[in-house]
Amino acid sequence: MDFLTGMRVSGSGMTAQRTRMNAISSNIANVNTTRTPEGGAYRKKEVVFGAMPEQRNFGEILAGKVDEDIDRVQVVDIRPDRKGPRLVYDPSHVDANEEGYVAYPDINVMQEMVDMLQASRSYEANVSAMNTMKNMALSAIEIGR
Amino acid sequence: MADIFDTTTKALGASLNYRLLRQNTTASNIANAETPGYKAKVVEFEDALARAIDLDGMNGLTTSDPEHFALGTAALGKERVTVENNPDADVNNDKNTVDMDKEITTMTENSIAYKAALSLINKKMAMLKYGISEGGR
Repeated sequence: MDFLTGMRVSGSGMTAQRTRMNAISSNIANVNTTRTPEGGAYRKKEVVFGAMPEQRNFGEILAGKVDEDIDRVQVVDIRPDRKGPRLVYDPSHVDANEEGYVAYPDINVMQEMVDMLQASRSYEANVSAMNTMKNMALSAIEIGR
Repeated sequence: MADIFDTTTKALGASLNYRLLRQNTTASNIANAETPGYKAKVVEFEDALARAIDLDGMNGLTTSDPEHFALGTAALGKERVTVENNPDADVNNDKNTVDMDKEITTMTENSIAYKAALSLINKKMAMLKYGISEGGR
């Protein structure tokens, strides 16, 4: 185990939160999108996080070190959510069906905003963990100066 | 002990290692603060280290198995440190037990203690240097 382990873990957290931020941007941008390559209205993207054991080198595994419990975070899946489209009556719309209803994505912009704030705060927490780690490492190289 | 590095320096070195482990564990907890089902981890090393630097005066017990308790100065650096799921954590709706405030506090506290240990080591080294250079002559 070294300083890089912790920094890699914090880095994985930052990557994961940034991916989530991208998904949220996509959701907000496509709040009124009625056409997609897959057909039908846009569907809200959900990012799924999973904990993965941080990789160790051969020597550490051989020595049976205790830090096998250090997990980085990884984006396991980006999937459309299960909610169906929101039907709005608008017969003049080009994508209206025979009854005159248009399928819009069921995205709540307020909810996306809250998710965005949460992602941004988590990102900051990871940055501050990484900075603390960096300061510790910088002080450690001063031993014996 | 015929060694230029005394027990204090070694104990400080050991504590630096464990503080680094605690820092890595905290970083892992912070990164996984929103992972469903993730359990917050805590590192316990203070008791093991106290036993190893012989605070209870039971010097001289040797250990031949990792399952033995580390006792006495011979065991310095071989302490049994545990990384376990935080027992007193609240569970969120998504079965995640990370408390962000607690983690940030642990991180700050740990980094301060790390720097304190570092500056003590540096003092020890300075004293050693002073001795080597015959009192700065």
